[in-house]
Amino acid sequence: MRRDSFAAYHPIVNFGYFVVVLAFSMIFMHPVFQGIALISAVTYSIVLNGIKAIRFNVLYMLPMLIILAAANPLFNHAGVTILFYMKDGNPVTLESILYGIASSCMLITVMVWFSCYNKVMTSDKFIYLFGRIIPALSLIFSMVLRFVPRFKQQIRVISVAQRSIGRDVTQGNVVHRARHGIRILSIMTTWAMENAIETADSMKARGYGLPGRTSFSLYRLDRRDQTMLITLAILIAAVLIGASAGENTIRYFPSIHMKDQSWLSAVVYTAYGLLCMLPAIISLVEELKWKFIISKT
Amino acid sequence: MNRGWMNRRTLLASLLILVVIPATIVMGIVVMDDRKYYFISLLIILYTLIPFAMVFESRKPQARELIVIAVLAAIAVAGRSAFFMLPQFKPVLAIVIITGVSLGAEAGFLVGAVTGFVSNFFFGQGPWTPWQMFSFGIVGFLAGILFRIKWLRRSKLSLCIFGGLSAIVIYGGIMNFSSLSLFGSNSYTKESIIAIYISGFWFDLVHAIATVCFLFILARPMLEKLDRIKRKYGLIER
Repeated sequence: MRRDSFAAYHPIVNFGYFVVVLAFSMIFMHPVFQGIALISAVTYSIVLNGIKAIRFNVLYMLPMLIILAAANPLFNHAGVTILFYMKDGNPVTLESILYGIASSCMLITVMVWFSCYNKVMTSDKFIYLFGRIIPALSLIFSMVLRFVPRFKQQIRVISVAQRSIGRDVTQGNVVHRARHGIRILSIMTTWAMENAIETADSMKARGYGLPGRTSFSLYRLDRRDQTMLITLAILIAAVLIGASAGENTIRYFPSIHMKDQSWLSAVVYTAYGLLCMLPAIISLVEELKWKFIISKT
Repeated sequence: MNRGWMNRRTLLASLLILVVIPATIVMGIVVMDDRKYYFISLLIILYTLIPFAMVFESRKPQARELIVIAVLAAIAVAGRSAFFMLPQFKPVLAIVIITGVSLGAEAGFLVGAVTGFVSNFFFGQGPWTPWQMFSFGIVGFLAGILFRIKWLRRSKLSLCIFGGLSAIVIYGGIMNFSSLSLFGSNSYTKESIIAIYISGFWFDLVHAIATVCFLFILARPMLEKLDRIKRKYGLIER
């Protein structure tokens, strides 16, 4: 796995960035904005996951896009430009087809952004961010994440012990196997509960709940993060100004209507493009810097 | 469960329901041109999670309580990933209902919501996460409430009926609605609603059968184990 440079920023930069791009891709249905968001999301997912992302996008996202786009005109008969009538007498309109394409694009963009989010916002970053606001709940999150692999490990231990007395899931006929399986799970659950109480007592003994709590991962909001936050704020402001001027809205029903393009729209498109491409650009620049530095020495 | 936090939650919930949610809908209609159903519904579902989280945090829960909730959620997450090859055939709802009955409505909600959230770290987060968190959570919450007012009993039959119904009506009802909101405002026609619920029905039915099966097998031993832990360590007695 390659280290992504955008992921190395402060968690608040990562999280804030994803909240904003996800909200924007859900809100703006304007075709230019959708195109920008989709292309950037796919680009970044390829930067993050390489060949795996290409496979994911082509195998799952592309068919889904087509199916969803095709489904809309079947249910949705609004719009003035009637292309033809279906067998049951309902019209198929140009507007509903285009709206279907737009809404499925929106969904795909959101899913691809989320695949990037999963890679960048690891659970320790999430806990670092929310540990102050919701300490008890984020402690539960981190414990659950730890318990799942631990329980799987414990199941293996129990199953080995049971095998030595001929009671593993691989021994006996089908009914026996099922019964052994349930028995192993039952042992595991009892162990998990008892173990949990012991953990809780040891947490209490070590001062859980007292003031002055520390956290495992330490992040510092340095100058690089501040510059990044200001850049993001400027780009977001530009996009929002465009939104208030009506640059990024489109009306689909009854007929398609967009605002005419002007110099302002060019500015807003550039700002949105920069915003969406930012992580990919950062990664690329860092990569080039790295190449440049090694080639010199 | 004393009256204090119940009242605070009621106050907060009514503030959200009466002020924040209508404000969001108005913003959706005025600012966003009444087209962004998906975004608005996502915001509203996130709001519903806030009162539970805030009440739980402000109560300063003890370590033992946290850990038992974490263990149950981890069992549910592990159960969900153990059955990854069978779509919809998952034990999560059964475990959430058992928790609600044994440890109360709040614990039921938390186990449900945490399971929805954490299991998606393994399955992949997406716009469906808040919906799943809310649906699992509210089933656990209802199980706790219905048990408290004695509508739900600890018998297998009663739990299985509740489990099957809640999988189809509550979980299926909410999740189907969430997938409908993808298609935008003009899709809220009678035929598209019927179509989405019919196409979702078979998945919901599998989910309901799974919940009933798991409740049938798990309900008694799990409840016994939880009772034992509660009695042995004097847990969650408020």
